[in-house]
Amino acid sequence: MKKNGAEILLQTLRDQEVDVIFGYPGANTLSIYDGLRQGPIRHYLMRHEQAAAHAADGYARATGKVGVCLATSGPGATNLVTGIATAYMDSSPVVALTGQVPTNFLGSDAFQETDIIGITLPITKHSFLINDVREMKSSLHEAFKLARCSRPGPVLVDLPRDILTATCSDDEERGLLKTKKVQNGNGNPSEQLQKIARALNQAERPVIIIGGGVKLSNACAEMGDLIEKGQIPFVNTMMGIGSIHDGNGFNLGFIGTHGFELSNRIVHQSDFILAVGTRFSDRSTSDVDEFAPLATVAQIDIDPTSIGKNIKTALPLVSDIHKALTQLLPLVEGKDRAEWLQRIRREKEQTEQRNCYNGCGEPGRLISTIQDAMPTSTTAVTDVGLNQIWAVRSWKARTPRALLTSGGMGTMGFSVPAAIGAKMGNPESEVVSFSGDGGFLMNVQELATISYYNIPIKMVVFNNGHLGMIRQIQDLFFENRLSSCDLGSHIDMIAIAKGFGIEAKRVAVTHPNEGIEQMAASNGPFLLEVLVDPENYVFPIIPPGRSNMEMIFGRSD
Amino acid sequence: MSGEEHIISILVSNRPGVLSRVAGVFGRQGYNIESLCVAETLDPEVSRITLVSHANSAFTEKIKKQLEKLVDVIEVTQLTEAQSIQREMILIGLTLSPDVRHEIMRAIDLFGCKLVFIQSNHCILEAAGDKDTINTILNYLKPFGIAEIARTGAIALGQKSAFH
Repeated sequence: MKKNGAEILLQTLRDQEVDVIFGYPGANTLSIYDGLRQGPIRHYLMRHEQAAAHAADGYARATGKVGVCLATSGPGATNLVTGIATAYMDSSPVVALTGQVPTNFLGSDAFQETDIIGITLPITKHSFLINDVREMKSSLHEAFKLARCSRPGPVLVDLPRDILTATCSDDEERGLLKTKKVQNGNGNPSEQLQKIARALNQAERPVIIIGGGVKLSNACAEMGDLIEKGQIPFVNTMMGIGSIHDGNGFNLGFIGTHGFELSNRIVHQSDFILAVGTRFSDRSTSDVDEFAPLATVAQIDIDPTSIGKNIKTALPLVSDIHKALTQLLPLVEGKDRAEWLQRIRREKEQTEQRNCYNGCGEPGRLISTIQDAMPTSTTAVTDVGLNQIWAVRSWKARTPRALLTSGGMGTMGFSVPAAIGAKMGNPESEVVSFSGDGGFLMNVQELATISYYNIPIKMVVFNNGHLGMIRQIQDLFFENRLSSCDLGSHIDMIAIAKGFGIEAKRVAVTHPNEGIEQMAASNGPFLLEVLVDPENYVFPIIPPGRSNMEMIFGRSD
Repeated sequence: MSGEEHIISILVSNRPGVLSRVAGVFGRQGYNIESLCVAETLDPEVSRITLVSHANSAFTEKIKKQLEKLVDVIEVTQLTEAQSIQREMILIGLTLSPDVRHEIMRAIDLFGCKLVFIQSNHCILEAAGDKDTINTILNYLKPFGIAEIARTGAIALGQKSAFH
């Protein structure tokens, strides 16, 4: 029995247990859409392909499964680029399917033709141009495998129109050229683990840095066991937040340019750092020369290119984190580091006094109030800018996939579409999306998607009439020479929401309770617009290029 | 570009687009590939890329890891002069003037170049050898009017490599 490329594609997606796709049709993908009609895969028609990519990414981050987005050729594919780059920077497993002109038109500048593989070469883990229908099934299986294995990432599959209509039978299907990778021996991992354990046990002021890789490796429980057994304080990077329950006694917050004062101070004083699943991005280290000057650094990561890339490490280990932590646990001793823990407690008290609401002021308090009003299993999704920092500092992440944020790429407009993806991934959980007025406008068209499908996500938009983070930086570091950060206060967001058919309410950040109650009680989608003073900034903040210890606590610093 | 010359030998899947990815790893970081030679190996599904880039050894170590990350890359080896055989081929187009003919014939004798093409006013010489030999030949012939050249860039095999 012969099937065409589109049918093979959809069957393979079903075999991969894909239940939702986020996409936008076009001329070159119509045969796929014809097949999607009968289900069972549910296709969500977004209102911009960028949102489709963010939704697939949000779905992946919320569930750990591979997220799938579908766009047509040309402008449809290029509209995915920002979303793919966002997934790439945070190692999110996404498969992006793009239509393409027929194979005999490739390279002829045909209508809606673009070399999307060429364009996305640097921002995909890998990509496939299917030019033979007999390789459709094996290429797709390989794409899914690559998206989720080792260090996850986005994989693009380019589908020329004639391949989608070409037919082949089951026995004609061909396997791919097997890439015979030469496994580089990791030396002797158990020997290295012994060394790491020894150094950790002997350390007087150890700290663990938990990066995004721990949750990607499904090693959160093992990390928790390690912390408990070794009695070791830990900090997160922004991407690591949630790996361990926020309330854990050893949690010291997150480090970096916008991190907690406590986290940065403790790392600075540590004599040993066990860095797990972090690539030491410039956001978390700030000035690398001044980062953790007293510490020996052990780094465990599955990606060899991340080891020793930014921070010199005396004890590197390339390994799957789950495996490494499982083997490390029996070697770690429970030490009583009373002096270190006491010092940390003292610092914690002092920094808490200095930074009420974690340095986020009223917006921070509001976010906590919202969290208290929502069920404990609620997922929070942030956008980028002040709203992001307020949210990651104030929302207490209790599970690994409870807080989703675009850390690596810092993509504005991420929040609302990613929240759609998160909701589709966990339909039983509530989802709250935080945005600023700037980022919210970037994918505002998704309000149509939300109302069309009646997706009951709660959207909180902090409206300060500005690009708040830019304004803060210009205020503090450009001597208040504000330039193009004023978005205006003339937009009526409530009218916009209502125009899209979504219930909405406006509150001031100082008096939000009625709005929060209304939002929490609503059964459908809801927009809460929170008016915030544009000079409501976030502190501490580190000046560009300086070290994690050169924190600024206020305008006058 | 500062740093020593590094010869990197990469075994890759013989598929379209692989070369772009490999070149992209260098270009993205602003490093110039000085020469690149690629062809099938005994296995038609596998090609070998031999490339030369000037950089320090820290960079080369970093590049090696980034190349190994590419799905189509099978193996990356750095070849040092001491432990490998390196060769290059060059075609040299020369304009022929009467006094130059004589020198060219001498070059053929001295360096074992082959005269592969000759016409009234120009000829093409072929030469092969290690990097120093090629450069010596070029330096010798430069005063006599080299019109243009085509070099393959280095190819190399480790002295031990194929024999695991």
